[in-house]
Amino acid sequence: MMDAGRHPNITLLTYSEVVEVSGYVGNFQVRVRQRPRYVHTDLCTGCGACAEACVFKRGVPNEYDAGLSRRRAAYIPMNGQAVPLKAVIDDQACLFLSKGKCTQACLEACPTRAIDFSQKERFIDLNVGAIIVATGFEMFDPRRLPAFSYGKSPDIMDGLQFERFSSATGPTRGEILTSRGEKPKRVAIIHCVGSRDEHANRYCSRVCCMYALKHAHLVRDKTGAEVFEFYMDIRAFGKDYEEFYERVQGEGVYFVRGRGAEVIVLDDGRIQVKAENTNLGLPVQIEVDMVILETAMEAPRDSDKVASLFGISRSASGFFQEAHPKLRPFHTNTEGVFLAGACQAPKDVPDTVAHAGAAASEALALLSRGQVVISPTTAVVDEQLCSGCKTCIVLCPYSAISFVEDAGVARVNEALCKGCGTCVAACPAEAITARHFSDRQILAELEALLVPA
Amino acid sequence: MACEEPRIGVYICYCGINIGATVDVEEVVQFAQTLPNVVVARSHRYTCSEAGQEMIRQDIRQLGLNRVVVASCTPRMHEPTFQNVLASAGLNPYYFQMANIREHVSWVVDDPAQATEKAKRLVRAAVARVNFHEPLQPRQESVTPAALVVGGGIAGIQAALTIAEAGYPVYLVERQPSIGGHMAQLDKTFPTLDCST
Repeated sequence: MMDAGRHPNITLLTYSEVVEVSGYVGNFQVRVRQRPRYVHTDLCTGCGACAEACVFKRGVPNEYDAGLSRRRAAYIPMNGQAVPLKAVIDDQACLFLSKGKCTQACLEACPTRAIDFSQKERFIDLNVGAIIVATGFEMFDPRRLPAFSYGKSPDIMDGLQFERFSSATGPTRGEILTSRGEKPKRVAIIHCVGSRDEHANRYCSRVCCMYALKHAHLVRDKTGAEVFEFYMDIRAFGKDYEEFYERVQGEGVYFVRGRGAEVIVLDDGRIQVKAENTNLGLPVQIEVDMVILETAMEAPRDSDKVASLFGISRSASGFFQEAHPKLRPFHTNTEGVFLAGACQAPKDVPDTVAHAGAAASEALALLSRGQVVISPTTAVVDEQLCSGCKTCIVLCPYSAISFVEDAGVARVNEALCKGCGTCVAACPAEAITARHFSDRQILAELEALLVPA
Repeated sequence: MACEEPRIGVYICYCGINIGATVDVEEVVQFAQTLPNVVVARSHRYTCSEAGQEMIRQDIRQLGLNRVVVASCTPRMHEPTFQNVLASAGLNPYYFQMANIREHVSWVVDDPAQATEKAKRLVRAAVARVNFHEPLQPRQESVTPAALVVGGGIAGIQAALTIAEAGYPVYLVERQPSIGGHMAQLDKTFPTLDCST
């Protein structure tokens, strides 16, 4: 993280989103929208004085702590560990920016006068040869499966919230405590929440077994509580993973083979977990004081927008579709656009790093080659015949056809055209030919095919 | 070149037993020899092998072929292979046509007589088409030596660092005000329990 922040060849564009992509392999034009931070990053030292001074004491849920703590409108992201280490003023939360009512104490508090409420969003245009999409995943929201009672008790948390409790930078500075502020005595860990479930996602989310085992270890290590793991199978597939599973078994964790069926919050706040122990063929009901729901990785909600922006498709699970499941797992069907990490499928850290390294090497191969060969099997417009009706322009799935105003005709950008033939079939003036798939060639082929040999 | 008389070579592949066990390859060869503008038709055990490729190259040179049809597997597999054979013998690679008599015939048609009939038709269609092929020239475009990485989690950071280390400029775009992604929220990582940040 720090290395990426200070590498001379890396330009960080944070608080930014790609809004437009045009061009083709080797020559993409990209427009990025950068949201205003209301802070001059060249002046800000990341000291946090603005956050101290921010009058919005109640604040808003802190995303870094998965909502377990609150932050003010002016803040240093990631509890002060942001890269770049710069303050942000959240315009949704800021009383001045959202309601126009605030003493603007942060302005005065800032020792370098870095705060500027007049900042506007800005657009940055980039020219690049290769694009790597590494947009990641979202965690499944357990509210979608009401049987787990997520949200009904502060002691029922999802895996990411547990990570924050256990982290030294988290809201309890790494102590695992129940909502009463005590160490838990009995903890239930429920696997496959939102995965391998036809009511949520059918796929195995791949990482949850291992992080659930890690959570069991951390609970045992930090609190000594009894831990009950409700699992269907343990998928410890990676290097040293099975050994880790055996280690956690040796630490005295109770493994109950059967999906956790229901989490019940009683009127007095006590929590019961119901499941079936499929090894014994018996129903199980235990009382615990903490439940960790090990949720699945999901494709982010706006993946459809990202997919259409970069011209990539999605698999049934919602993750981005690779060009070939085995031989081209980090390519897309748009040349020059590569996939890295969990945006392609759920992945753990080692697999993500490997996938990203491979995507980078593909991008590097393209950049260092310096040249791309553009296939000549494209559509071509006969400008004598084109009536300028623009029918083809809206139909082209690759936005490869543009209208030449002076000449009043359509023209194909051969670098963008994939030769799909949509425009050829649609042109009412028959002015477009698909090279290598001309009518003459196709009709000759058909005539020869349809007569018995 | 486009107006000269087509001189077509047709090559029917056995693909070991993949095609040969179902399609009567020699019957297809004899049939191909009767088609208009076909100068030579031959079979080969593995046309994609170096020996098979050399056979085609020799025929182009010695018999003055200016069109080539190979009936074998899917063009997704070997169309580039055979296009390169044409190019290495001095022919435009777009004077090539492939008939898929493996995925479309021998692997899906059980009856040998029907399979052979279908293979013949596909070969005749490819020959009819290749008559009208025109030479095409691929274009070369230069590459902008910079990369965009979208997403500043562990995947994006890793990719950006690899490219940056190789000396190319990288733009790393992240929606949040800080890079780090989910990884930066984790406590320890399995199975080694090392720190994640």
